[in-house]
Amino acid sequence: MKKINRLLLTLFALGLAVSATAAPTKHLNIYCWSEYIPQPIVDQFSKETGVKVTVENYASNEEMLSKLAAGGGEYDIIQPSEYVIEALVKEKVLHSLDRSKIPNLKNIDPQFLNQAFDPGNKFSVPFMAGTVGIIVNTDLIKDDIRGYADVFKPENKGKIVVLDDAREIVTWALLANGLNINQITDKSLNKIKPTLEQWLPLVKVYDSDSPKTALLNGDVAIGVVWGGEGAILTNKNKKFRWVIPSEGTHLFIDSLAIPKTAKNVENAEAFMNFILRPEISKQISDEFPYLNPNLAARELMSKKQLENPASFPVEEELKKMSLFKDIGTKGSDVEELITTLKAQ
Amino acid sequence: MLGFLSPTSTPKGSTHRAPGLWAWIVLSPLLIWLLLFVVAPTLVLTAVSFAERDSLGRIVWNFSVQNYARAFDWVWVKILLDSLYYAFLTTLICLALGYPAAFFIGKAPERWRGFLLLLVMVPFLTSFLIRTYAWINILSKEGFLNSLLISAGVFNEPVAVLYSPFAIVLGLVYNFLPFMILPIYTSVEKLDNGLVEAAHDLGAGPLRAFSQVILPLTRPGIVAGSMLVFVPSIAMFAITTLMGGGTNPTIGEVIFKQFTAGRNQPFGAALGTILLFVFILALWLARTQRERED
Repeated sequence: MKKINRLLLTLFALGLAVSATAAPTKHLNIYCWSEYIPQPIVDQFSKETGVKVTVENYASNEEMLSKLAAGGGEYDIIQPSEYVIEALVKEKVLHSLDRSKIPNLKNIDPQFLNQAFDPGNKFSVPFMAGTVGIIVNTDLIKDDIRGYADVFKPENKGKIVVLDDAREIVTWALLANGLNINQITDKSLNKIKPTLEQWLPLVKVYDSDSPKTALLNGDVAIGVVWGGEGAILTNKNKKFRWVIPSEGTHLFIDSLAIPKTAKNVENAEAFMNFILRPEISKQISDEFPYLNPNLAARELMSKKQLENPASFPVEEELKKMSLFKDIGTKGSDVEELITTLKAQ
Repeated sequence: MLGFLSPTSTPKGSTHRAPGLWAWIVLSPLLIWLLLFVVAPTLVLTAVSFAERDSLGRIVWNFSVQNYARAFDWVWVKILLDSLYYAFLTTLICLALGYPAAFFIGKAPERWRGFLLLLVMVPFLTSFLIRTYAWINILSKEGFLNSLLISAGVFNEPVAVLYSPFAIVLGLVYNFLPFMILPIYTSVEKLDNGLVEAAHDLGAGPLRAFSQVILPLTRPGIVAGSMLVFVPSIAMFAITTLMGGGTNPTIGEVIFKQFTAGRNQPFGAALGTILLFVFILALWLARTQRERED
């Protein structure tokens, strides 16, 4: 027993000595989407600044929101989409950025700045943008596909993959009915119900995380997916063709922001500035080919990357796309509508 | 469970001055664990299920039963019934496959048993998700199974196995089969061969010996195994979404979606609480069944 006590004491003393000599380490807690910030980039930031970075991932905006709302975790950087920034700004839970610490914001294309969800970019800097569109395996589908109406046709039953995201699916149905994507009311939901009743039984797979898998494996032939996923598929094989739906689609802007509860604001701002560096931003695009809003980074990118229509829609298409607005408690109704139709 | 909570049944004549205390100390890690990770979350879940939420999804502590009123809409009941059906089917198939396997292992020569049991448990050495993705690679249209069947000349065209109810049940059975085999194995191992021989000596054929001697004696293993398979199968949504394509919503999945995308934790909590009552009901039924037999 004595021996054990002495051992414990020694260990305790050692522990004290170690913690006394260690320099105060700088920290940064990042809470971001999975598959969005490549690990080498995080490592490089650590190496350059000596900041110890921890990364936690989420799979949906709402997952992040619920954790943030519950007060769990002390995050210094979060990565919300535009409609979530809108809600967070409204609730006054974001830290107001010190723009002098983020000079690289000048690299961002002005059309992605000063948006209604954050006028003057007081609280957020754009990370990546993107859109949702149709990807067609032209080996299996010979018809000319122009819009949602061509995807959700009875002859494509069992050949379709779509995002497992109720708000997305409802948006497509609103567009197909010529309705505003942000007017989500009981009336508009009732109006699109017949459309969804036709569409959903045709779907074979719902997958938001990696819809490309079912397309690559040949289990489905056509899909409505994220632009980044579409870009990977068109790069992999020429048989995949990307189509911007004729009925319209929406643009998303994923940004970086700092919650008010952040403990390491300076490191967070340094990280934002780091991410906006042209060569870093290009590296992200190499791995996740979304619409890069960083003009300086685009100068470093190859012609092939810039001409991929799934990553970079042409200007006139881009102009027609609107952004999501926050729908608050209506999200639950949207979820219920899609679940009800799936369960039928 | 209640037996755990009265640790005063230390045998008489024990030399400890305070046997009750010692028992409590020995049990305390388990009790603390149960309190922190079973009792407390359940209470929180139940409390949340009677609350409301704001537009960001934060919980607002206004008492309301509206979540329960909504939970009994036909759509949620149907999803629960669908989930119960899949779980029931999974349990049945696991029993049909697991019983003979467990019996075989239990009656195998002793030096083989350890090895055979190890084989049952080998899949657990890999992450559940990796094993599920492996199945996706095997079952997909351009996957291993289809290329095998086509090159063997069984089919000319690839068949759609993945993203179907069949794939869901296959995934569930694959993942939960060991939970059926292990408890039945324990019962079979304890089975007294003398009793089976006695049945034969008294003129029982193999069928009668099985149904009147072996089956009743291994019933505890069957009940335990069935519970271990049935209960987690109900809420296991990773398999239904990954291997089933997410076209048949299950109760676990809709609860998850209410907590996240729906920003409606109170409603998700109400569905969760109802599910908990279903579990309790299932366990209670199994228990009364056993008591009746005793």
